[in-house]
Amino acid sequence: MSVEARAARPPFAYHHELLLLIVLFLVVGVLAVGTDTFLTVDNVLNQGRLMTEVALVALPMTFIIITGGIDLSVGSIMGLAAIMLGVAWKNLGLPLELAIVVSIGVGAVAGFFNGLLINRLRVPPLIMTLATLALYRGLAEGISQARSVRGYPEWFFVLGQGEVFGVPTQLWILLVAIIAFWIVLAKTTFGRSLYAIGFNEEAARFSGIPVNRIKLIIYTLSGTMAGLAGYIFVSRVSTTRSDMGTGLELDAIAAVVLGGTSIFGGVGTIAGTVVGFTLIQLLKNGLALSGVKGDATIVVIGTVLILSILVSNFLQRRRGAGS
Amino acid sequence: MKRFAIIIATTTALTGAAMAADPWDGGDDLPTNPLACDGTPGTVAAKDYDGGQPTGAADKAGQEITLIDIPKLVGVGYFAATTEGMRQAAEELGNVKVTTDGPTEANIDDQITFIDNYVTQGVDGVLFAANDPVAIAPVLKKALSSGIHVVGYDANSEPDAREWFVNQAEFNGIAKSLIDSMAAEIGEDGKFAIVTSTFTTPNQARWIAEMQAYQEACHPNMEWLETVEAQEDNILSFNQANTLINKYGDDLDGIFGMTSVATPAAAEAVTQAGACGDTAVVGLATPNAMRPYVESGCVKSVVLWSPVDLGYAAVYVMRAVVDGKLSPGDTEVEAGRLGKLQVVNGSEILLGSPFIFDKSNVNDFDF
Repeated sequence: MSVEARAARPPFAYHHELLLLIVLFLVVGVLAVGTDTFLTVDNVLNQGRLMTEVALVALPMTFIIITGGIDLSVGSIMGLAAIMLGVAWKNLGLPLELAIVVSIGVGAVAGFFNGLLINRLRVPPLIMTLATLALYRGLAEGISQARSVRGYPEWFFVLGQGEVFGVPTQLWILLVAIIAFWIVLAKTTFGRSLYAIGFNEEAARFSGIPVNRIKLIIYTLSGTMAGLAGYIFVSRVSTTRSDMGTGLELDAIAAVVLGGTSIFGGVGTIAGTVVGFTLIQLLKNGLALSGVKGDATIVVIGTVLILSILVSNFLQRRRGAGS
Repeated sequence: MKRFAIIIATTTALTGAAMAADPWDGGDDLPTNPLACDGTPGTVAAKDYDGGQPTGAADKAGQEITLIDIPKLVGVGYFAATTEGMRQAAEELGNVKVTTDGPTEANIDDQITFIDNYVTQGVDGVLFAANDPVAIAPVLKKALSSGIHVVGYDANSEPDAREWFVNQAEFNGIAKSLIDSMAAEIGEDGKFAIVTSTFTTPNQARWIAEMQAYQEACHPNMEWLETVEAQEDNILSFNQANTLINKYGDDLDGIFGMTSVATPAAAEAVTQAGACGDTAVVGLATPNAMRPYVESGCVKSVVLWSPVDLGYAAVYVMRAVVDGKLSPGDTEVEAGRLGKLQVVNGSEILLGSPFIFDKSNVNDFDF
């Protein structure tokens, strides 16, 4: 690297992700001192189990927000996929393995539909996914006709409630997903194209980047991960309901934005998102264990979110002024 | 253009598929047991204890215990009343500390997380009112295997996920009171619609299934129009009731409100539509919420039980379980000022009969 480039690199603590990591350690430290049930292996692994659905959805959400878009329909896609799992198994009589594939496939199709409409109709992703949020939720409620599906066989629950080598099964899947997404974003041309699209979509288009195809891929990816999250959730609670996943999109977006991804696009990392959803989950859990009631916890999460964005903005502006 | 057409076609097909499924009436699919039309009490077959048991629960007989109460949601009058009942019981007993915490929406995912956190924190007992009987079972079983006592009230879970369930009134008793009240107001060939909670809320689904069975047996000429869901949300209940009034117009003779939020909302919708007297509103609600409508004559009768007594009984049952005074196989339990409560259906504890509030007594209560 040239001398000028090295000099222009900001001091390491200004990196949002590192700052967030410091905050994470601080929070964990304070909470661990506050209650002795918080920093136990059991509890931390259990929290990992509970946060997997949001985490899986937050990973492709990072891609989407980096490109300057957003996907509000992930919660509804999760509900729809969960319902389709039950419907495919109970009502259509498919073998359960096939039903699982069908449900994740439905998630993929829903995401594909999102991407298609966003490309073709030139409607901002915010509006489009807001519309599909309602559409998919309505489909889930209509197809299920308010019936929940229960009575799954034992092996079905291994994913949601079982363990492999002492670690909850879904955490292994999450780990693989994190590594895969990180590699794609940081080390491939595809990942670089996302940043390019986020910085300036028209310039990216004229540079020969297949913007439409990339957008289609990331929205389909988002739908697929929502479908997977739906399967894991059903396995965890042993029943399917059509109101599953309501509010999931907000949790995922909060984690992504907390992790340093700019809502305007062009900036963001998978590492930041990982620290983001870990921080939110541990904060929620630690506060609850310390005896803080539900409503107060929400206030604290909101405050942490606002503070971290303010600090990050402040540091970015200082960094921008200094260089 | 072709792609656009395909998109439109697919959306229409999907919507059509959604609408083609059987119309849902709100009931669950479990067997029903309607009471006799003239009110002779039904025979209750004795059932074996079918609840779960905690493993390795600490023996705290006579000692102070900490309980956590996690209702369907917090912030509604009904569960504020159960909390008050629990507070009264704790005060009387002297060696019980009970806190109420829960989600701000009747959301099963959030409720599971709340229970999970308290299990990790380590309480002596969990009291719950379930948003979904099956989904809540894994986390309750986790509580049981951590040595925590689990007692449910208001809305049951699967039987083996809790030790006891305090049932406010027999499901078929509530169904009979509701249907009889409605039949008295709108006549034997009236048409009614139902505003309920969510798809799988256990108690509402059970009541509706029993109502259907009782109505078909004892008031066969009454006609059921539709059931809509309103998720214990005030605004949604009001909107749903309005939609029903607009949709059926003169055809709609009566609306059932199945939650303590839906009934006042339906009464408000009927009042605002100027349909008082034409459209009857019968349902489950707290007297405080219904007082203005009962006094104006828009609503003739409100069916409920005392949620204060329900919370009170739940704490007493938990205390009896911890003290070893209530074990599987017992047929009754001592519950303070409520006297002895019967054990029915294996592991349910019956609070009593449903109570009907009307103009003559609605002012005597404050919850």
